[in-house]
Amino acid sequence: MTPKEALASPWLTVRVQIALGLFFVAAALPKLVDPPSFAHMVYNYRLVPGAFVNLMALVMPWLELLAGLALILGIWTRASTGLVGALLLVFIAAISLNLARGNAIDCGCFDVAQANKTIDERLADMRLDILRDLGMLLMVAQILWVKGREGHKIVPSTL
Amino acid sequence: MSLRRHLLEAATLVLAAILCALVANALASRERKLALVGSYPNALVVPEKAEAIAPAAPASNGGAPASAESPFEGKHPGPSEKSAPKATVPPQGSEARAFSSSPADLLKRFPPHNKPYVEISGDDVAWLVARRVLVLDARRTKDYEEGHIALARSFPVWESDIDARVTALVGEGRDGAIPVVLYCSGGDCEDSHMLAQKLFGAGFNNLLVYRDGWPDWVKRGGSSVTGPES
Repeated sequence: MTPKEALASPWLTVRVQIALGLFFVAAALPKLVDPPSFAHMVYNYRLVPGAFVNLMALVMPWLELLAGLALILGIWTRASTGLVGALLLVFIAAISLNLARGNAIDCGCFDVAQANKTIDERLADMRLDILRDLGMLLMVAQILWVKGREGHKIVPSTL
Repeated sequence: MSLRRHLLEAATLVLAAILCALVANALASRERKLALVGSYPNALVVPEKAEAIAPAAPASNGGAPASAESPFEGKHPGPSEKSAPKATVPPQGSEARAFSSSPADLLKRFPPHNKPYVEISGDDVAWLVARRVLVLDARRTKDYEEGHIALARSFPVWESDIDARVTALVGEGRDGAIPVVLYCSGGDCEDSHMLAQKLFGAGFNNLLVYRDGWPDWVKRGGSSVTGPES
């Protein structure tokens, strides 16, 4: 099996799909449990107009949850992968912009509790967050590449 | 054709997420609910210097008001202008004992400033708490219940009923010139500043933000209470 064939194998693709789905479900749960804290996180990014901060804090976790579940269950895989990819691009852009302007924030990605970190620790975490999101973006790319290449639906039942 | 189907699926997921969010928010308890339309005037304003809102180091001047534009600095003698370093200030456990103080005394030391807020030190807060001024806790309800300054009232600025609480406070007919102390978690916490903005807009013009907030109060051994608001 060539590396290209290995990368395109249904065995790998299904696992990438489930792992990505689990990441997003895990990210959504703390935000769903405590929307005001997540709204605070969204506010801290200083990118969303005040009127839309709460709405974004309410909708985004549900979008993460539904897209994550769709990936895990193999339902509407290309659509949910596309949504996850779009969310990741937004996250990367938002963190990068704040990193560039020196606004040290807690990511709020997997935890919405305010962490008592120093500015330097926060900036270091933001760099790691971008790397993690880029890694997940590679997972998105793998799924979309395989879907586009093979043009058939892969579900966890092929495990 | 296939692209259109995928876009339709994605749009369905987005609509489902919006619907779930609205239903979940409608069914949420008060502490977890959000107003659908937020009111955050500084949502797009990046703090000028991140260091300015970092956990404050002990003030070299003994804890004088933090704001350079403070009207108190150099004008009103009192605890905030002691020459002793802040770290050596003894625990303020005695502030639970109420001192007799007329509004004139309060206004003499803390005159109305007609700004959204002025930051003050823990020494100033201890002085004000001892004189039973109104103290508002801007942290989340659960944090308030875990411990708050004695007699402080809960005004969680990130919870959905904050505007109703502000309206009720205005309805109490308080004199807006009398000092009101607001606090949250210190450091880079902005909740008390946000609450001050709301109250300033509602007619209060002597709002004093406890710069170092609850952690500093605990460190000082200030009188505190746990449990829900009585």
